[in-house]
Amino acid sequence: MFDRLLKQHTGPLTRDLVQTPGDFGLGKVPARLKPAAATVSICGYCATGCQLKIHLDDKGEAINLSPQAGYPVNLGMACPKGWQALDPLAASDRATTPLLRDASGQLVHCDWSTALRTFTEKFHSIKKNHGHEAAAFLSTGQIPFEEMAFLGCLWKFGMGFLHGDANTRQCMATAVTAYKQSFGFDAPPASYADFEESDVIVLVGSNLCIAHPILWQRIMRNKRNPHIIVIDPRATETAQAATQHIRLKPKGDLAFLYSLAHCIIREGRIDADSLANTVGYEAFADFVKHHSPEKNEACTGISIAETEAFARLVSDPAKRVSWWWTMGVNQSHEGVRTAQAMINLALITGNIGKPGTGANSITGQCNAMGSRLFSNTTSLVGGHDFANAEHRQKVATILGIPTACIPDSASLAYDEILDAAAAGKIKALWIVATNPFHSWIDQEKLLRLRENLEFLVVQDMYHSTESARVADLVLPAAGWGEKEGCFINSERRIGTTKAVRKAPGIALSDFRIFRLIAEAWGCGEMFSRWTTPEAAFLILRDLTKDRPCDISCIQGYDHLDAMGGIQWPFPESNATLPRERRLFADGRYYHPDGKARFLFDPPSELPEAPDEAFPFLLLTGRGTSSQWHTQSRTAKSDILQKLSPAEPYVEIHPEDARALGVSENDHVIIRSRRGEVRARVYAAPTVSRGEVFLPMHYPEVNRLTHSSFDPHSRQPNYKACAVSLRRSLS
Amino acid sequence: MQTLIDELLSQQATLQTPAARFAEIHERSPDLDDHYKQLIPLSKPGPGEQYAFEVALDRCTGCKACVSACHSLNGLDEHESWRDVGLLLGGGQAPDWQQTVTTACHHCEDPGCLNGCPVGAYEKEADTGIVRHLDDQCIGCSYCILKCPYDVPKYSKKRGIVRKCDMCHQRLSAGEAPACVQACPTEAIRIVNVRSQGSGDRNHTLNFFNQKSTIQNHQSSIPSSHITLPTTRYTGRDVPHTHFAADRSALIPQHAHWPLVLMLTLTQAGIGLCGGDFQAPSPFFPHTIIGAILFYLGMAASVFHLGHPLKAWRFFLGLKTSWLSREILAFSLFAPIPLLLCVLPHLPEFPLKHHFILLTAHSTLPIGLLAIFTSVMIYHDTHRALWKLPRTALRFFGTTACFASLGIPMLLIPLLLLKLTPELLFLRHASATEWSPDQHSARLQLGPLRPILIARIACALLVLPAALFHPLAALPILLAAEILERQLFFQSVQSPKMPGGFAN
Repeated sequence: MFDRLLKQHTGPLTRDLVQTPGDFGLGKVPARLKPAAATVSICGYCATGCQLKIHLDDKGEAINLSPQAGYPVNLGMACPKGWQALDPLAASDRATTPLLRDASGQLVHCDWSTALRTFTEKFHSIKKNHGHEAAAFLSTGQIPFEEMAFLGCLWKFGMGFLHGDANTRQCMATAVTAYKQSFGFDAPPASYADFEESDVIVLVGSNLCIAHPILWQRIMRNKRNPHIIVIDPRATETAQAATQHIRLKPKGDLAFLYSLAHCIIREGRIDADSLANTVGYEAFADFVKHHSPEKNEACTGISIAETEAFARLVSDPAKRVSWWWTMGVNQSHEGVRTAQAMINLALITGNIGKPGTGANSITGQCNAMGSRLFSNTTSLVGGHDFANAEHRQKVATILGIPTACIPDSASLAYDEILDAAAAGKIKALWIVATNPFHSWIDQEKLLRLRENLEFLVVQDMYHSTESARVADLVLPAAGWGEKEGCFINSERRIGTTKAVRKAPGIALSDFRIFRLIAEAWGCGEMFSRWTTPEAAFLILRDLTKDRPCDISCIQGYDHLDAMGGIQWPFPESNATLPRERRLFADGRYYHPDGKARFLFDPPSELPEAPDEAFPFLLLTGRGTSSQWHTQSRTAKSDILQKLSPAEPYVEIHPEDARALGVSENDHVIIRSRRGEVRARVYAAPTVSRGEVFLPMHYPEVNRLTHSSFDPHSRQPNYKACAVSLRRSLS
Repeated sequence: MQTLIDELLSQQATLQTPAARFAEIHERSPDLDDHYKQLIPLSKPGPGEQYAFEVALDRCTGCKACVSACHSLNGLDEHESWRDVGLLLGGGQAPDWQQTVTTACHHCEDPGCLNGCPVGAYEKEADTGIVRHLDDQCIGCSYCILKCPYDVPKYSKKRGIVRKCDMCHQRLSAGEAPACVQACPTEAIRIVNVRSQGSGDRNHTLNFFNQKSTIQNHQSSIPSSHITLPTTRYTGRDVPHTHFAADRSALIPQHAHWPLVLMLTLTQAGIGLCGGDFQAPSPFFPHTIIGAILFYLGMAASVFHLGHPLKAWRFFLGLKTSWLSREILAFSLFAPIPLLLCVLPHLPEFPLKHHFILLTAHSTLPIGLLAIFTSVMIYHDTHRALWKLPRTALRFFGTTACFASLGIPMLLIPLLLLKLTPELLFLRHASATEWSPDQHSARLQLGPLRPILIARIACALLVLPAALFHPLAALPILLAAEILERQLFFQSVQSPKMPGGFAN
């Protein structure tokens, strides 16, 4: 009794943690964070496209969030980035006003009028003096596609410039090109349900557990006791969790996939029905004759027996086999052919268009898929072709603009834009929601090129990114959570995001910034119907009519929310369309003849193979699930920061570490022909001897990478270059 | 133009209010109910049972959603989460093997935190076995942090208390799953009812990760389960016997706990000076007065270690199990002595005054040494290698002995060397090939803490000539030497914990 009097079971500190029913289907929540309302929004990080339930206070301001149960993508789950999605909005380094570089070289605050005047004067003068090819935008896969489309249309149709590309070039250009060439349209065929329906799941160059944890969740829900095979030079978290790890030599993937096709065709394990829907099989079969496992063993590092056994597994007619790839394939000097080698395997074994099958790209950024359809860079907005006169006519009519405004050629690719800038042909860049001064391959080259630019505009949430710091003009943008619009995820599902926080200072959504620029440039009239993101959405919807990505029956944002997102295509009003749909069930592809193509080329040499001076091969990739790309956002969350090492570290094989005389936690200098980086040693047999791995999130890493590109997709080859290591004495 | 700018800025500053179209207003049962119903027990624990976390290692891939969910659904501070994810490596037996490990409080059968708390701010719920922390009872002494072999309770500077995982007891009691259980995309964490092992069975406690084995792997850096009988179960994947934590060899110095460094050295110096057998009080070396001042300064310093010192009067609640309670009691008993030693001789005559003086003088050492013994036991009871009884006793009593012999150089010099020798010999552990807590501590001392180590040795050696010159010259140097020694004691200890990730 006396003891009880002595115990304080309640009080102010205890009350801090008291929970109360949160309603809105949430279960208990902290009492002081009980929502007055809730809404849903698609996460703004990766292309998984998880839906989050945002907890709002009585002013409509977000106070917390949790993953949305019942959404067909994430089923009530999210990775740490999603859970902490509100954190980066409150960062102290948000850009709150436009910033203009003054005569002394300092970035100083200015108002929107000054910023817009400077912007239009500079670009008008560059266009007048150097022509419409003398400036370019570099945009992003991180903003709603209404904004991407506005930017692309404003730049090309309104302002009359030609070149613009996006960081999606660093992310999934390879998949785009592979699909376009093979299927006749950029159409990732899968639905996430295929993860649960598959018997054999092959993950190529994909660290799903870390890069897309929610998709790994879908694999874990597979009740068919699947074989899960990871093909990766590194023993990633996913390789550890898989049933089999095929640890091939870096860039041995293309040869290995050809050897599989060789074995499958040699043993006659092909699917004639599927081949009937294709063109070019004979040539392909001829080609892979020269790719026996014996011949390729030296290049793949995989034994003949293992290759043959695996070939039998993925051609077992009783099994549903699905192929999935991510950046290990996309970011390669021969990524397009590697992706197509998987498409070829799916075609010859009939593993396409059926549940649990497909050759499926898992995209990186939240709206890379939106960019593919609507960014108006490589393809004409709405899934059209700049070179096609009918397409230009159609787009002009729907947008209500003169056909002559639409150029008949696509833009230069990202690397070509930068080369043109280095050569002095491009005088100005407008960078929107991306951070190339951290993320672009061979960083020093970009820094040198900065000196050649007459004008560099960076439009971003933060004034502190590597790119904003070197800009002449910074335009302060609202971030995810401060604006609305739509994203498209890896399974072609369109979902909405909402404004649930006010933007700091006089920052504006990218959409509103584009409206201001249209007005200031003098082409406001052309965009008079683009008043809100949803108004723009309806215009874009109409553009897709009769294209493979036809979504003309989506009514608007409410419809998308009510349906739990909608996958394209959605061409006719049909309430019975299942929530999860895959493409090509009818065996018809998008080439005019309805047939898929076999595309292949012999594997090529590594662009920069290790040699005596630089004896190690550097692999790069995702570090942890709590880090995103250049960390401009994830570095602003205390919790996410806790979950990843603060300083760069390099994974190195323990034997190599021993040979170099370094032990765990020592520092080493990693040097390539282009630069050097200091990193802490993490000695782990996750990499093979002669290989080292650096996570891409640290700004130093791209000092090392080698500027080489896939010839078809122009995607940079981030994941293989030669480096040397030595102990750091400091 | 300005009109449009103003219009768009005003639009940007307008949020849809809850009444607007996307608001969703219903009271309904939790949407994830169906998902987690199978992840929590159908019934409350029966007699001899308690709730425990069960982690399926083969389902955990280190996405760390559990950490974020714990933070968000419990409304914790910016950097605060009660769950953490680390990494185990296979070691010699399976060099390629890796496993991520998610950890929260183990809700131990015999919780170190609870046993160590001086004010009873921990309770183990009788029906569920959940180890609860009473935030408003806590005085912020942080002893539970030292007592927990798994580094679970975390100090909140802002609040002046520690907080820790309560297994979301509010959710469990409403039939909802804890935040981490709800949030794990691969259902790797669940709550189960487990049978208590009972402390009698302690010698047969199973190895944490090898449920089939009782062999502890001392190189793993993962603490033995014998200490507190943790209840978490790790299942689903065999763990090689040679496993170890990925962050095992990260040389990160521990918190210095400055108030404790000062409290320990100053009280030990004070007790030594007051109780030292000096021939006669000398006007040139008023050791009693100096001792009293140092002692009281030490006592004052200890207060700064508490987040809520005003609540510390409840210290007697922990006397049964907590050496910290006992220390507070012992020091309270000793507290009047230095004052009496200084004041009594100068008071006017009163009956039995001489006896009082004698009694005070003769109780100084016994009570003082008893108090120091309780200090020693506080650290010994944490089961940390560097703080084992003989090592801590040598340091603490050694300090007292040095100050007690400050006026007698022929005694001080050998005593000081005697104290220094094991400290120097300890450094040889740094070159051991196999990891051990001692190797780790020695490497910390020779690595990031090297400047402190050098200063410690230099000061100790300087004391020798100074002592030959005059006790008052030696005193500040000895004090500095001992403070540095104590800083090393705190900062270089290998603090047991669950595996962390590499460099984070």
